Amino acid sequence: MRRVAYVLSAAGQGFWRNPVMSLASTFTVTLMLLLFAFFLTTDRGLQAAVGVLESKVEIALFIDDNAKVSEVLALKARIEADPAVSRVDYVTKEQALKRLQDIADRRKDFVLANIDGNPLPASLEVKLSDARQAKRFGDELRAEVGGGVIADVIDNPQVVDQLLTITRVLSVGGVAILAMMLFVALFVIVNTIRIAVHARRDEIEIMQLVGASDAFVRWPFILEGMLVGTLGAVVALSIVFAAAGPVTGAMLDFLVTLPISLGPEFAFQLAASVLGVALLVGAGGATLSVRAHLAK
Amino acid sequence: MIALDDVSKRYPNGTFALRDVDLRIDSGDFIFLVGASGAGKSTLIRLLIREELATTGRVVVDGEDVGRMPRSRVHRLRRKVGVVFQDFKLLPRKTVAENVAFALIVTGHEGRLVREETERALSLVGLTARRDHFPSQLSGGEQQRTAIARALVNRPRILIADEPTGNLDPVTSWEIIKLLTRINDLGTTLVMATHNAEIVNALRRRVVHLDHGMVVRDEREGLYAA
Repeated sequence: MRRVAYVLSAAGQGFWRNPVMSLASTFTVTLMLLLFAFFLTTDRGLQAAVGVLESKVEIALFIDDNAKVSEVLALKARIEADPAVSRVDYVTKEQALKRLQDIADRRKDFVLANIDGNPLPASLEVKLSDARQAKRFGDELRAEVGGGVIADVIDNPQVVDQLLTITRVLSVGGVAILAMMLFVALFVIVNTIRIAVHARRDEIEIMQLVGASDAFVRWPFILEGMLVGTLGAVVALSIVFAAAGPVTGAMLDFLVTLPISLGPEFAFQLAASVLGVALLVGAGGATLSVRAHLAK
Repeated sequence: MIALDDVSKRYPNGTFALRDVDLRIDSGDFIFLVGASGAGKSTLIRLLIREELATTGRVVVDGEDVGRMPRSRVHRLRRKVGVVFQDFKLLPRKTVAENVAFALIVTGHEGRLVREETERALSLVGLTARRDHFPSQLSGGEQQRTAIARALVNRPRILIADEPTGNLDPVTSWEIIKLLTRINDLGTTLVMATHNAEIVNALRRRVVHLDHGMVVRDEREGLYAA
């Protein structure tokens, strides 16, 4: 009990003996963790958005009126064989017209004028299982336009493409920035603990002289590092959760078409990750610092 | 108890602090290490508690080869060897009793044992009445007695004193020497480095004389100078 009390009180003393340095490192850790939480949340949100959009990616192929049914069916079979395709529906000219009339019936502001014949083309509606293939797939088919079967290719993969680009940039840039912040936080903690070690160098000398184990000498400093980390995590998470409500509201207004929400499960994961990183950085920095001193 | 076989210590700058030292100290011995400053007394002491490693030769303390001991075992060696210094090395913000108890707490002892052993050590050095004073409130002799109590509280088999009277007046020095003699009588092996000729000559114990890192004299019931 007394041993634990000693280690704990030494760690606390270490923290408060040099409050400016301790608070500075806590602040740095907080900033690092805020960035970490921001990237984690954004990444998760974008992944959800990509998921939602991916399930909606569809390419429509308008069929030339002069194409033979056998040619259309051969095209359909060829498209179905592509691994990126999850489903192909053949919509005939009559079905297309019927759809248009159905829409007109439901909407009073939409009046379908009497039309002669059927101006609508038949089409193949292609659903993709892998949105990243949308561009390649669209380009391939577009090359066949005018070949007698495909009259036009309608696709809207730009949104998905952009989202995928943003996700990639964010994850690469995020990891880079995070790595730098991690390095800075580690550096600051190493220095904070170095000062704490220096302030207690007489005590450490005596501990080693009377036969305290290295682990016993190290623990107060490692705990102090973890204390810095934990405080940083508490502050960062308070800010994140305080800001979560308003930011989510704004995001939902902005991305009104995307039914994305990150539930309590994510909040728990976020808190656990942030605290985990904080403890790791705190303990790691302190260990580096004390080890350097004890090796002397 | 302690054996040095052909021990040399050469520092990176090329100077020899110790050269071909052979020394055997039996359990319960009381020996004075004498010699001019820089003769190698402190280096010898640092080898015994593995603050430094010998360049060549073998240092054995209580049956263990100190030089080959892994770092993780060093703290066990230090519990068997108490050390007292000229500058006391007390923690200024702890009381006498806390300074002594500190050695027990940081070596993993708890509860009643800490209290009992602390009181035993304090009464051995005669500081029970001063237990709640801070080092700054003590005389030099009392501070050194606190340091001795701390060195003894883990019941080491060997007590090493590096110039324990170097900062003390003659009367106080004698008090400390009497205390050390008594500790030796109780069975603890005692190695004391000193410049105090008067004490060495009065006690007539074994004297090991170092000069330029070499043992130039090793006498039973010796004098400070040959």
